[in-house]
Formats: sequence, C-alpha cells, structure tokens
Amino acid sequence: MDTQILYNIFHQDAFGLNIAIYFYLTGLSAGSFILSTLAYSFGMDQYKSIGKVGVVLATVLLVIAPFFLLIHIGMPHRAWHLFVYLNMASPITWGSFLLVLYPINCIIYGYFMFKGHIKLTRIFGLIGIPLAISVHGYTGFILAFGKARALWNTAIMPILFLASAIVSGIALMILVCIIKDRFFSKEKKINQELILNLGKLLAWMIVFDLFLVGSDLIVLAISHSDAQAAAHLILSGKFSILFLLVENLLGKILPFILLAVPGFRRLTTVIIASILVIFGIFFMRYIVVVGGEFLPLL
Amino acid sequence: MLIDLRKCIGCNTCAVVCKSENDVPLGVWRSWVKRVEKGKYPHSKEYFLPIVCNNCENPICVTVCPVNASIKRPDGIVYIDPHRCIGCRYCMAACPYGVRYINPIKKIAEKCYWCFHRVDAGLKPACVLACLAGAIMFGDLNNPKSDISKALAKNAIQVIKPEIGTEPHTFYIGLDIEAVEAIKIEEEK
Ligand code: SF4
Ligand code: SF4
Repeated sequence: MDTQILYNIFHQDAFGLNIAIYFYLTGLSAGSFILSTLAYSFGMDQYKSIGKVGVVLATVLLVIAPFFLLIHIGMPHRAWHLFVYLNMASPITWGSFLLVLYPINCIIYGYFMFKGHIKLTRIFGLIGIPLAISVHGYTGFILAFGKARALWNTAIMPILFLASAIVSGIALMILVCIIKDRFFSKEKKINQELILNLGKLLAWMIVFDLFLVGSDLIVLAISHSDAQAAAHLILSGKFSILFLLVENLLGKILPFILLAVPGFRRLTTVIIASILVIFGIFFMRYIVVVGGEFLPLL
Repeated sequence: MLIDLRKCIGCNTCAVVCKSENDVPLGVWRSWVKRVEKGKYPHSKEYFLPIVCNNCENPICVTVCPVNASIKRPDGIVYIDPHRCIGCRYCMAACPYGVRYINPIKKIAEKCYWCFHRVDAGLKPACVLACLAGAIMFGDLNNPKSDISKALAKNAIQVIKPEIGTEPHTFYIGLDIEAVEAIKIEEEK
C-alpha cells in the first residue's frame, strides 16, 4: 500500500546536544573517580600516582557538567524548584541530590588524600564509589524512562552508560597523566609502566563495552517494530556512519587493536588509542541522545 | 474525549480554534490534524487524524516531571503548572505522542489539557464546540449515562499506541493503523 504523510506536526527535540555533553562529562567524572579509588580504597599500589589526578578531574568535570543543564532548561532561575517540589519517581530528582552529594564527597575525599590521611581517604573513597556509579547511572535511567523511544527504553542503558564512562575515564586519565608527567613533574619523565598498565585495563573495558553495545543491538534488531526501526537507523540509516565508523570502528575496535596487539604496545600507540576513545565515547553519547529521539513518534 | 474519524472532514477548524482559545504561539500546536494519503492518485483516499494530548490514565509525563509541575487532576485531566515548570523538557522526551512543546515565549512546557478552564466553568472544550462535523465528543466517562459513555459502549473504539501502556483517554472511532504508523512505513522506504 502506498502511504504518504501529507501533513503532520513535529515539535522541537527534547534533549539534544547540551544533554549529550552533560552525560559525557558526568561519565568522564565518574570514570576518573572510580580509577582514583583503585589505589586508595582497594590497595592496588601500582595505581597510586593516578589517585590525585583522578579526584581533581572528577571534581572539576562534575562542577562544569551542571552548567550544561542550566543552559538547557528554559527557566534556569527556577532550578531551586528541583530541591523543593520533589517527585521521587523522576530520575531527574534523584539526580538533583546526586549532583550535590557527589561533588561534596569528591572534595572531602580529595582533601584527605592531599593531606595524606590514608584511613579517611579510604573511607570517603568507598562512600564515593556508589555515588559515582549513581551519578552517572541515573542518566541512563533518564533515558530508559523515555518509554516510547526504543533506543532509550532498555534496562541495559544504565550499565551501558557506566561501561562507556569507565572507558572514557581511563582514556582521559592516560592523557592527563602523560601531560602531567611530561610537563609538570620534577623529573619530566613519563611513567611508562603505569601508562601501559592503564592501556591494558582500557583494552579490556573496551571489550566489555562492545559486548554491551552488541547485546543491545541484537535485541533491538529482533524486537518490536519501533526497536527494529531504531536498529535500522543506527545500522543503515542516518546515524550509521557515526555509529559504525566513528563510534565503534575508530572509537573502540581500532584502539583495542592498538592496545591489545603486543607488537603495537608503545607509548605513542597508547596515546593515539586514548584520543580515539575519548572522541568515540563522545559520539556514543551523541548518537544515543540525539539518535534516540530522531525517529518521529506519530 | 471521543473523536469519530468517519465524520472528520479534515477542515482544521479544531486546530485553529485551539490556537486562539489557548494563545498558542507561532510554530507550535496543541492540536493538529495529521493527513495521510493511502493509494496512488486518482485511486487514493485521504485519512484525517486529529491529534490532541490523550490525558492518559497513567501519564508518563507526570511520572518523570522532577518538580511535580505536570499533574493529573482528580477528574483525569493532566495539566502543567506554569509557575512551577522549569522547562527541563523531560516530559517532552518521555511522552509517547509528541504532543508537548516548549512555549517559545514563556520557555515552559505546554500541551492540550482539554481546555480545563472552560470545563471548570461548565463549558465544552473549544474544539468540541467548533467542530462543524460534530466529530468530537467530550464528557464524563465515570457517568454511564453520559453521551460519551454510551457512544464508547456502542462503537468499536481504538486509541493510538495502546501497547505503550499510558492508557490514553482520547478514543477514536475508525482509526486506521496505517494512518498512525505512516511514519514508520515512510522511514522504511
Ligand atoms: S499524551 Fe503525553 S503529554 Fe498527554 S497525558 Fe499522555 S503522556 Fe502526558
Ligand atoms: S518541562 Fe516542565 S512540565 Fe515538563 S518535566 Fe520539566 S518541569 Fe515538568
């Protein structure tokens, strides 16, 4: 049957680029925080030197991130409503509290770390882990509650977001560590072993992330008609180049090869891989947020 | 609300009267008439589908509103408190029907709320009065003797996207599945 739409109304996008950037920054922050606790809360001493970098990154990124929310909302001077008229069913309400508690905890944790107070650092690190997981995980729930958008409405969304958060967090950490060691440390010498270790960690997290993205895709592709349309959109439609080429090939598979094949494992390849990953994950956020609401509802 | 698509002639009166009744700014609509053509001219037929907010029984827009600005009234109408909305657009992202918009002047979310200012005064919504074909019916579903309850009991009725589970309260007679899903059919081409 030939069916054509002659007239219909579409209203503007609900989320868009600002929200994608916000998700990206909270992800980087949560990833950095979790990395910084490896040494201070779990005693993995080989990661000791990234502890301080991690907590500074986590705090700074999380202080910047909410500004993108303020730009996004129509009535920024009413933002205090979020703390007064609570609707506990809404993920954004969960987020208002997390966005306050998490940075405060980061600052306390960082304060004790710089003071060299091992025991308290450990405790606030442990408190911070569920907070860091929630502060990024809740953004997955924000999307999952969009029940008519097949790309969003999946229980895998929060964990998918967390996996990509850790991936991007490690990549950022690698780059920041290199810059710090190279230009701002006394010896001006890069800690090769640490970077290669982080590179290995990154490679395995990429595998986990790819596994989640793959599971999501497989189920989308055989599920109900809206889900199939979404799978179609990212596999062969308007978002396919971004999704297949930029996000997955350049942003995950290529870095994985650079990091995992022993012959390639050098400082430069780790740097290249990290840069690719950082861009790749940004496009992941973009595709999920903007691609998710791309298909019209009616 | 019950819309009898067999009577609708696609004249857009409801969409126009809604604009003036509710001061809807340029570029956005609280109600509109979707037009779909099936078949190839001259062997074709046009379908008209007036769209309004469904004022759902189980509205996801109310669930996700972080400041309780979107609220379901005891009579079932879902409305937005203009003094409380922060314009976060989460309700727009969550509504399965795309009926919400941001008012470009006030920067807050708005949508059709069945003219509750008129309903509270004992009047019918503007579109119901204005429809020259008498295709839109409005009334109390809890009262089995109301015209709308009788019409719902007597006819084969349908809602848009029942599978979403928001339990829409805007019912249609003669709803065509292809007129609803034409978007998907076009996307696949
Ligand atoms: S149609 Fe959308 S805006 Fe209207 S009540 Fe249902 S979910 Fe809310
Ligand atoms: S835009 Fe307004 S009505 Fe919609 S969810 Fe945000 S605060 Fe609530």
